[in-house]
Amino acid sequence: MTTTPFLSIRGVAKRYGAVAAVEDVSLDIAEGEFVTFLGPSGSGKSTTLYVIAGFQGPSVGDVLLRGSSLLRVPSNKRNIGMVFQRYTLFPHLSIADNIAFPLKVRRRSKAEIDARVQAMLRLVRLERYAERMPAQLSGGQQQRVALARALAYDPPLLLMDEPLSALDKKLKEEIQFEIKRIHNETGVTILYVTHDQEEALRLSDRVALFNNGRIEQVGSGRDLYDAPATHFVAGFIGNSNFLPAKVASASGAAFEAVLPDGSRLPGLTGARLAGASLAGAGLKAGDDVAIMVRPERLTITRGDDMAAGLVPATVTATTFLGDVVHVLTRTSWGGEVSIRLPCDGFRGEPPQTADKVRLGWPAGAARIYSAP
Amino acid sequence: MTTVPTPSLAGEVDLSPEPRRLAGLGAVAPALGLLALFFVVPVVALLLRSVLEPQPGLQNYAEVFGSTTYLKVFGNTFLVAGLVTLVTLLLAFPVAWFLAVAPRRWSALLFGVIVLSMWTNLLARTYAWMVLLQGTGIINRMLMQIGLISEPLSLINNLVGVTIGMTYIMLPFMILPLHATIRTLDPTVFQAASLCGASRFQVFRLVFAPLVASGVAAGVLMVFVMSLGYFVTPALLGGTSNMMLAELIAQLVQSLLNWGLAGAAAFILLVVTLAIYAVQFRYFGFGGGEAR
Ligand SMILES: Nc1ncnc2c1ncn2[C@@H]1O[C@H](COP(=O)(O)OP(=O)(O)OP(=O)(O)O)[C@@H](O)[C@H]1O
Ligand SMILES: [Mg+2]
Repeated sequence: MTTTPFLSIRGVAKRYGAVAAVEDVSLDIAEGEFVTFLGPSGSGKSTTLYVIAGFQGPSVGDVLLRGSSLLRVPSNKRNIGMVFQRYTLFPHLSIADNIAFPLKVRRRSKAEIDARVQAMLRLVRLERYAERMPAQLSGGQQQRVALARALAYDPPLLLMDEPLSALDKKLKEEIQFEIKRIHNETGVTILYVTHDQEEALRLSDRVALFNNGRIEQVGSGRDLYDAPATHFVAGFIGNSNFLPAKVASASGAAFEAVLPDGSRLPGLTGARLAGASLAGAGLKAGDDVAIMVRPERLTITRGDDMAAGLVPATVTATTFLGDVVHVLTRTSWGGEVSIRLPCDGFRGEPPQTADKVRLGWPAGAARIYSAP
Repeated sequence: MTTVPTPSLAGEVDLSPEPRRLAGLGAVAPALGLLALFFVVPVVALLLRSVLEPQPGLQNYAEVFGSTTYLKVFGNTFLVAGLVTLVTLLLAFPVAWFLAVAPRRWSALLFGVIVLSMWTNLLARTYAWMVLLQGTGIINRMLMQIGLISEPLSLINNLVGVTIGMTYIMLPFMILPLHATIRTLDPTVFQAASLCGASRFQVFRLVFAPLVASGVAAGVLMVFVMSLGYFVTPALLGGTSNMMLAELIAQLVQSLLNWGLAGAAAFILLVVTLAIYAVQFRYFGFGGGEAR
């Protein structure tokens, strides 16, 4: 017997007629964890959250909280907190009354409600605004009140659907910090939706990357960046270069590829595969693959050192960014490759536009995916 | 020049709209002038006649309040106005709701029908109801044909006829303010309330009802006040036993040439109307969309 996970999303799918908003999502979440659903627009993040909140029933699948299914429990009995993308404070109630609302409908005593409202106002640092009306607060303040309202009844689970997407960058970072602090102080389990990867990496213990109604990969930000499991993950998280190639020969982990310009990449033995081995990934000679290298892992070789490089290219632009130099190159088949070089990462002058160079990378820096 | 303060981006709300209101005064001056000329002047004339004819004194008011006939007319007027307001509200709410949530095409169509009916001649619409409601009218004939009734129902020249006819005419005046309010509601707010633990009934009572209150108040006020002074429909569809105030006033002027008594009755109606307005204003402001 394994211990039951705190929250378990099991094979959830949601179809609207012929459209599948969520195809198949399964995920276990531990108590106290901060998990982010990250993904492009329309990938099914909100729909999954709504199934957990009970606004929508799944077409297939189940959601279990502490081992018991939530599906038959109506929204108002789930005891889940939620902060929405849109401002959802009750416009006719003061800030204090908004926070008191969930406690009033739970028929708590007046003294308890007052104490709790004060504590919540303190938690979100809005003590001075208790008597104001929602329309008299800024967007950021309103979302902090919404957070206080959602936490007032001590829910074991807090859902947040892009709560900061309407705020400017500075305010966003400020409230991200608050959310992180509140997560630490209260220990509440948080499921957070965003399509801002920086936000996801900053806030969460684990990120679930959504695409087309499925989770492509779950892991820490580091996992997703360093070991993207699929072509999509590699492209979505961070910056990446994809070189189209064909498998020339494959046996076990040894592997040789040919680029469109005919240059062979025999030295790819150290290249990590997204999958156990080429054979495991189902790749054989003649298959189309994409070789992914992060811009900061690429090296540029020129002149005398040229032979050490792998892929011939021409520099099209160089931008000095202080700590790094950003070099844009074009391969002979017209592919763009971007490189971030630390300022001490090259000998002599930085590469100039129209310079002929060769690109290379250290063993292990490239990952291979079957072509999308 | 008055300066118009703009609310700052920090969300500090400007709570004193006074300067802006004054700035708009120039634009409404012509309308106010017309109102003074064609409303205030006749009202003052009416008031004067009610206390001066046939001789100076309050005897006209004494007669209105002293006569059971006249008091009955007042009572009936309020009964009809109240009944019409209630039925209109009950019918208008689902329609306003549908207008707010239906696909664009459907709501546009329904809006067209409502506006068109408002543009149709009032007399024509009332006569149409006479044709429908009379003993040998379509409604009675149909009910008799399907065997629901054996004798024609009396649907005209009584309270039923007036209520049906007036409700129909008042519907747009209830639907439009209700729709204006319902359209501003965000369904996510109700989802939030539900997740906060509120049952359906609590969501209705604690969130929905307060948010639509101002729209309901505006519609109810409009319909009730308009109904109080209505003439054409009660005259054509109502009976002699449930005369309304406007009919009485017309009779006093046209048949009895008693301008003093008519003036007193009209002035009382005006005072009642203004009092209702004052109450509404006290609790709901101008009846605009803002819920406070
Ligand atoms: N009620 C609905 N009827 C039909 N299709 C829907 C409905 N709700 C969502 N969808 C579709 O399901 C897909 C997933 O929607 P969802 O709102 O879950 O995406 P999301 O990942 O939250 O996107 P975003 O980042 O834009 O909020 C979308 O393609 C959307 O158009
Ligand atoms: Mg969404």
